[in-house]
Amino acid sequence: MPNRVVVTGYGAVTPLGLNVDDTWQNLIAGVSGIDYISLFDATNFNIRIAAEVKDFDPVSYLDATGARYADRFTQFAVAASLQSIDNAKLKIDDDNRYDVGILIGSGIGGLSSLSQQVEVLNRRGPDRVSPYVVPMMIPDNAPSRVSIATGIRGPNLSLSSSCSTGTDALGIAYKMIRYGEAKLMIAGGADAAVTPISVAGFSQAGALSKNTDPKMASRPFDAKRDGFVIGEGAAVMLLETLDYAKARNAHILAEIVGYGATSDAYHITHPAENGEAAAKAIEIALAGIDRSTIGYINAHGTSTLLNDVSETRAIKKVFGDSAYCIPISSIKSMVGHMLGAAGALEAVVCCKVINDRVIPPTKNLENPDPECDLDYVPNVARDSDVYVTISNSFGFGGHNSVLVISRYAEH
Amino acid sequence: MDVFEQVKEAICKVQPGIDAEKITPGASLTDDLEIDSLDMVELTLALEDALDLRLPDEELEGIVTVKDVISLVEAKLKEKDA
Repeated sequence: MPNRVVVTGYGAVTPLGLNVDDTWQNLIAGVSGIDYISLFDATNFNIRIAAEVKDFDPVSYLDATGARYADRFTQFAVAASLQSIDNAKLKIDDDNRYDVGILIGSGIGGLSSLSQQVEVLNRRGPDRVSPYVVPMMIPDNAPSRVSIATGIRGPNLSLSSSCSTGTDALGIAYKMIRYGEAKLMIAGGADAAVTPISVAGFSQAGALSKNTDPKMASRPFDAKRDGFVIGEGAAVMLLETLDYAKARNAHILAEIVGYGATSDAYHITHPAENGEAAAKAIEIALAGIDRSTIGYINAHGTSTLLNDVSETRAIKKVFGDSAYCIPISSIKSMVGHMLGAAGALEAVVCCKVINDRVIPPTKNLENPDPECDLDYVPNVARDSDVYVTISNSFGFGGHNSVLVISRYAEH
Repeated sequence: MDVFEQVKEAICKVQPGIDAEKITPGASLTDDLEIDSLDMVELTLALEDALDLRLPDEELEGIVTVKDVISLVEAKLKEKDA
């Protein structure tokens, strides 16, 4: 019998708060975390807005020396991971340190550290480059630093699937626990790519909104949407077998009951317009689950012209006419697109929806798009007693990744 | 600023979490100050920048204590003046 996999803790560092609770309260209140870029001088950029994490102090999680040699995405990952362990009241000691694994993905890695050192290399030569550039740049530095900070000695891995990263990290961690590769996993995603090269690159690819009003730019499913707003942060969940959670009397927040992943095999940045492979991913994730129990879909909902239509088509393909009865929302309207962290935060939000019985809104949905005609919970949070949720993530390169998260019940 | 103070400042720059009281001439870089091989390169870069000199890798080989760093830096500063 495969193991049942439950969520017993989570942590997050987001544009709307330095922990899950603050982030959640702001999401429910419809607050936007998007503002003018402060992390670098964007005067000469055509894109000057982003969803930045504000007032984050890495020293409170890593001491001053540790923080100096950790890229910002790793700092976020360590903070969110330590929060998740604390939230789950998990004690890591000699009895369990090999039973816990870490899988924290990053879509981009330590781009900011790499960019700084490329500048040192070009201006001052190879013998001035920091010996820390490689560890700071590599995506797996995040899980490695979590291992070092906590004494966790199980498998420690990263994963990268563009904007699906956070969902895939949780999905693979779920599978590892389900099939006995680990008893507990710290899993999620982290990215900190509000950097000049990344903003310029995403902008040149036509992915970013050119709307100059920070609070209005991210408008998933709205007819006037014109791209996503780049965000940053980390979100991490502590997953464990139901048996382990019960044995240590852990408070169970939710259960992961399905994961599906497919590829479009189509284009390096565009999603396939018909949403066929995305629909297939949802169907795989829903295998064995009664579809009429789905009470909420946390959409990928990037606010790009293409994603929001193809995602809507995928949902309709799976649910037919009942698609119109399922509340769907995109928190990217408020936290922007946190890239590799997005899916992980959205999974945390699904747990909050289940437990707090309220659905966060899709902000800025004012002008209906005839091709996006489902119930996207526009602008105002909605009370709803939800049992089973779906979280969709899709990424550059055609990744389609879907988690199904349910309220925990004994049977 | 004397050379000891400059070395101390460089160590604090590359190891901002360190207890500055621990930085004494007799302190072992590895055992007392937890400076590993990566930190040693950072420290060298910081000293080279601060004092406008070069500390070649081969001359760093016998370095164990803060005093060893001070002696090497003093020798290099003397070479520069000569």
